[in-house]
Amino acid sequence: MTAYPERVLQQAYAWMRGHPRAADGMLGLLLFAAGVGQLPTPEPLSTARGVAVNLLLAATVTVRRQIPVAAFCGAAIVVSFQLAFGLGSGSVPGMAPGVTDFAIVILLYTLAAYRARRTSVAGLVVCLLGAVVAIARYAPLHGPNAGVILLLSIAAVGVTLLAAWVLGDSAAYRKTYYVSLEQRLAAAERTSDLEAKRARAVDESAARLRRIERDLHDGAQVRLAALAMALGEIKENLAQADTDPDTLKLLGGAHQNAKDTLTELRDLARGIHPPVLDRGLGEALAMLAETSAIPVALTVDIAERPSPAIEAIAYFCTAELLANAAKHSGARNIQVSVQDSGSAPLALAVTDDGAGGARVAPRGGLAGLLERVQTVDGQLTVDSPPGGPTTITIELPRHA
Amino acid sequence: MRIVIAEDAAIMRDGLTQTLTRRGHDVVAAVGDAEALRKAIAEHQPDVAIVDVRMPPSHTDEGLRAAKAIHQDFPKVGVLVFSQYIEAHAASELFASAPTGVGYLLKDRVADVSEFIDALTRVAQGGTVLDPEVVRQLLGAGRRRDTLAALTPREKEVLSLIAQGRSNVAIAAALFISPKVVEKHVANIFDKLGLAPSDTDNRRVIAAIKYLES
Repeated sequence: MTAYPERVLQQAYAWMRGHPRAADGMLGLLLFAAGVGQLPTPEPLSTARGVAVNLLLAATVTVRRQIPVAAFCGAAIVVSFQLAFGLGSGSVPGMAPGVTDFAIVILLYTLAAYRARRTSVAGLVVCLLGAVVAIARYAPLHGPNAGVILLLSIAAVGVTLLAAWVLGDSAAYRKTYYVSLEQRLAAAERTSDLEAKRARAVDESAARLRRIERDLHDGAQVRLAALAMALGEIKENLAQADTDPDTLKLLGGAHQNAKDTLTELRDLARGIHPPVLDRGLGEALAMLAETSAIPVALTVDIAERPSPAIEAIAYFCTAELLANAAKHSGARNIQVSVQDSGSAPLALAVTDDGAGGARVAPRGGLAGLLERVQTVDGQLTVDSPPGGPTTITIELPRHA
Repeated sequence: MRIVIAEDAAIMRDGLTQTLTRRGHDVVAAVGDAEALRKAIAEHQPDVAIVDVRMPPSHTDEGLRAAKAIHQDFPKVGVLVFSQYIEAHAASELFASAPTGVGYLLKDRVADVSEFIDALTRVAQGGTVLDPEVVRQLLGAGRRRDTLAALTPREKEVLSLIAQGRSNVAIAAALFISPKVVEKHVANIFDKLGLAPSDTDNRRVIAAIKYLES
């Protein structure tokens, strides 16, 4: 719990932040009261003038945050009139500068805090010039201590004006800094939100592909196999009976069609999601190595299974790289290694002792792999000098 | 034959049961998962079991594991594993653990009913049956080149047919050559693979396994 007075202060600040116009109005009122209280003459006309000057200055303070430049200019004009007519011999009663002129300091601060630096520096220059004029007209140029008084006046006014500008300027700087900080924070939140959504999408699509393969396996493939079996049996039965050869031929065609469709369906399903992946990346890669046209030495070191989507990407990349090597490299041996310590990204390396010169060309096989790897922020590097050997390294996060 | 079928898809299970029954075989049990299969085998001790690879609960390789278990507990029961997909290493694993009375076929093969039943009969009688697709995959694979490099193309063809469990007569018919020529090829294969002349059937199986595992 914060202490009592501190809490009251905090609440007061909070109220002021929530009601800027009312706060400025009160500040104006305060200045006005002080200024009017300071008015020396009881004479009605000069009192009226004094009240009008004070009212104008208080008004500029009240609207300082809505129209900083106009308020500053208004106050500067009023103060100029005061300097011109309210000082020295033959001065107009009620026009003398007073405590309300502190308004110009507040407005300089406001200018520095809410407007561009160019504008506020111009305001500062105007103020300093005004101050020089005021001191020149007000301070005693002769007599004892005249020099000291002059110096002190210059120092006091100059330092006050400079301090107001510096405070305002630093407030403006802090404000832009906080705004950019908030924007960066929002951008970072958005990025991590997008990453989470993408990971979900990647996982969902991997799960959906697996489901499609299973549905095919349990549904269409089984029905088609049963159909082919029935057609086969009918064909054999009819062949034994004395059947019209055209009918037999027709049936034979249907039977063959069913068998061909089964083969196509199997290849399709395997392309969607190889069932061997369900038993882990190691087994799936072992199968790829087993059926590769070029002998493959496989090293698998996986501490903990990565997510299914990552396993699928690693599998399809390896399949593509093995096929590429068989097609283009003329290699005699291939090494495939997968390492996944569980903490670092999964590292897949495929090395062949072929001709080398592989590169990521637009619309080439490697470009397709790169795209696939990049969907999960993975990396693909190609090291393939002319004459070989070629090493292609793929790094994948353990989860999408 | 007395047959147990383990297949989780009802339409395939029923279709197989009806077809085999119509061909005069006795389907003593048709079940949908590995646990029920174990019980059915223990209860009926059939000549042969047809086992789907993917079955509940995990739908991965229940059938393969069940096949190995059956071979351990009931060596006389032949097991025909059949699958929607062919995986060469699954085949070599299966054949290494049980070199006799075992088969591995694509599900599609049921379409040719008589051939399928022939294969089933071979497995029931202690023979081996290997899907031609496995052979095709392995022949395309590079690492066999070194081990089987000594064989001529014709000998490789013969070996792949041996691996499919064909007899010499069947191989001769398939390749349109005389059984005598087949015998010569087989002798050459055994010789090149370093298999000492002993029981011929056993050598055939070993050659088939070498072929799978090489």
